[in-house]
Amino acid sequence: MTTAPLPLPDSARAASLPDAAFLARLKTLTQYYVVTAFLALLVGVLIGPLQALNYGGVNVYDTPILRALLKSYYQGLSLHGVLNALVFTQFFISGWLLYLPTRDLKVTINLRFAWLSYLMMTAGLLIAAVPLLLNQATLLYTFYPPMQGSPVFYIGAAIMVAASLLVAGQVIAAWVGWKRAHPGRVTPLVAFMSVATWMMWTVASLGLVGEVVFVLIPWSLGWVGGVDPLLSKTLFWWTGHAIVYFWVLPAYISWYAFLPHHAGGRIVSEPLVRLTFVLFLLNSTPVGLHHQYADPNISTTWKFIHMFLTFLIAVPSLLTAFSVAASLEDAARARGGRGLVGWIGHLPWGQPVFSASVLAMVSFIVGGAGGIVNASAAFAPVVHNTAWIPGHFHITVGTATTLTFMGTAFWLIPHLTGKRLPSVRLASASVWTWFIGMMVFALGMHWQGLLGVPRRALVSATTQDVYREMPIRVPALLTAISGMILLVSALLFFYVLFRMLLSRRVDDSEATTPIPYSEAISSAGETLAGASALVRLTEPLLALWGVALLLVLLMYGPVVARLLAEAQLVPGWRLY
Amino acid sequence: MRAGRPALARLDHHTLERYETIWLGLSVIMVVLLFVAVLASFVSGTYPSLTGESGHHVAGVRNGRVDPRLLGATPFATPGTRQNADGTYEAFVVARAFQFEPAVLKVPAGQPVTIHVTSADVMHGLMIVGTNINTTVIPGQVSSFTTTFRREGTLDVICNEYCGSGHHGMISRLTVEVGPP
Repeated sequence: MTTAPLPLPDSARAASLPDAAFLARLKTLTQYYVVTAFLALLVGVLIGPLQALNYGGVNVYDTPILRALLKSYYQGLSLHGVLNALVFTQFFISGWLLYLPTRDLKVTINLRFAWLSYLMMTAGLLIAAVPLLLNQATLLYTFYPPMQGSPVFYIGAAIMVAASLLVAGQVIAAWVGWKRAHPGRVTPLVAFMSVATWMMWTVASLGLVGEVVFVLIPWSLGWVGGVDPLLSKTLFWWTGHAIVYFWVLPAYISWYAFLPHHAGGRIVSEPLVRLTFVLFLLNSTPVGLHHQYADPNISTTWKFIHMFLTFLIAVPSLLTAFSVAASLEDAARARGGRGLVGWIGHLPWGQPVFSASVLAMVSFIVGGAGGIVNASAAFAPVVHNTAWIPGHFHITVGTATTLTFMGTAFWLIPHLTGKRLPSVRLASASVWTWFIGMMVFALGMHWQGLLGVPRRALVSATTQDVYREMPIRVPALLTAISGMILLVSALLFFYVLFRMLLSRRVDDSEATTPIPYSEAISSAGETLAGASALVRLTEPLLALWGVALLLVLLMYGPVVARLLAEAQLVPGWRLY
Repeated sequence: MRAGRPALARLDHHTLERYETIWLGLSVIMVVLLFVAVLASFVSGTYPSLTGESGHHVAGVRNGRVDPRLLGATPFATPGTRQNADGTYEAFVVARAFQFEPAVLKVPAGQPVTIHVTSADVMHGLMIVGTNINTTVIPGQVSSFTTTFRREGTLDVICNEYCGSGHHGMISRLTVEVGPP
């Protein structure tokens, strides 16, 4: 992937080659993004065990210590969801997918603008944090109107999302600049994946931007008297489902581009990886209605079309399962592995950088299978809004994404800072306990959900008999135990992380911890002229971006137009 | 590549391409099967069809929409089950923080009943435990669906959409009875 560049005009090369001073400054910026992300995760995951205990039948929210910190279970859950799912992911991905394409393309970017994006994102976070901590935005992660929060929360969230679009714009612009300077060249793989991910996010975020800017902010400020909750919910899920791919695709980048290297193997096929990302760019957004099977007054036909499109996203995920498994097999056989399954034992399971990503993938296989159940309109009513759903996304986002990012930090932070991972053993323990904890949690929650326990409810404080009559003792116990395992895991991880961050710089990070690019068995080639049909088909990302936008407008236009035409405005409430 | 290991031990481009194609084929077949399975459930009527359409005749309901401030002028003013002149059954349920009205909904056994449910304040959820009845209850919208409860007995009705500080206590019952309610 990183071979010598073709001859270029001197002017183009001089303008685009980064020097050591630039790289040092870029690394500092990336480090700020990543550390901010993990600080948010620290607060978010420490609230997690409290929710797990609730689903284990123990209400800790009434204890005096917690009473002083959090007004209610619902406030704790709002913080847990927003910090882990929105803030952690947004900051980590913005740093990760700004750094990687810049390095892969070997270009310089305007660092002043990049810092402005970071500061804006942080300002948005701090603004949104105030009402969250004051119990003035206890709206849970979905913030469905007409439950009303402080306008400060919506404004802060809007600034955060807008900042991520600035990062997207800068990366896409850098890539367009590179394309102009290098006509006829194939975009390097990591840059290709990053640009496709950012393009997907710009299309996907339109729904949320529309909801927050045009509906929620004017309404919460009192400029308009009412809100149509169904319209808002539809706009929310326009972004709300695609956002999970925005969380998972950066993990995919790690699995494709770096995991083979960690294992000692090679990427199987670069053209296939490109196809996978193009399929995600086109297909991850026009599927959000599958979150609304239980909503009235949305045409069944449209729900049905979105259901089919949702099933189609299984294809790039299945391609990934094949590709990454094959690259691991390649690695294991190179390490002396033999037999149909015997090679699995030859992988470096004790290396946390490796095991984090592979365990995250194992978790994602189970999560993906559950996702097909959720996406099916016939099954959805059985699991809709039950404990099954948080069980599902803790092994998708909570493990596939979070665990991959945790493992990535074990090489990325040494790479950025020149500091060393203090203990492979403790890092490895945190990875394995996270995986086990999440698996136990998922088992407990899926099981409870199938029996009818709803999600996002303080079930441990319910005075009625309904949960005592359900046979949920075993799954409830599993959920409670998983919370304790995950607490131990989080403490281990953050101990390792902060010991590393607070230690002394020991070496030149660029030389000792280079970016672990993997080589490919079938590479995409250097020039478009000599490339395969698949590479030539996937290279024009700008045109494919346009197709993605068109597809979303086709799949959402009629639905949103009808909701707008028949809008029923209702007043806001604050019941928390 | 490790020294001493023959090159043939590792995967090569051509072998992979063959497996890749097989795998892609299998995943496409799987998606087609999923699609056909759900299409079958859709056609056979086990697809839970939630609309506002069957509420068109209800006073105050237009396009499946109703003003939650004016529920008094609609049948939602007196929640519960009633028998229409043509012998069909209709039930009206209002969700409001933090209870369902009526507190106990009585429905006839073995008879199709059309349930209309709406919210007077924020978003709620109506899940009847042990069935696949599971609806978002949205202020300004009416969810209508027709179903038949075959067995006598009592079922739990749980609000499964966050609706505020008392959300977890928003639980009521549905009794299926033989004979007119």
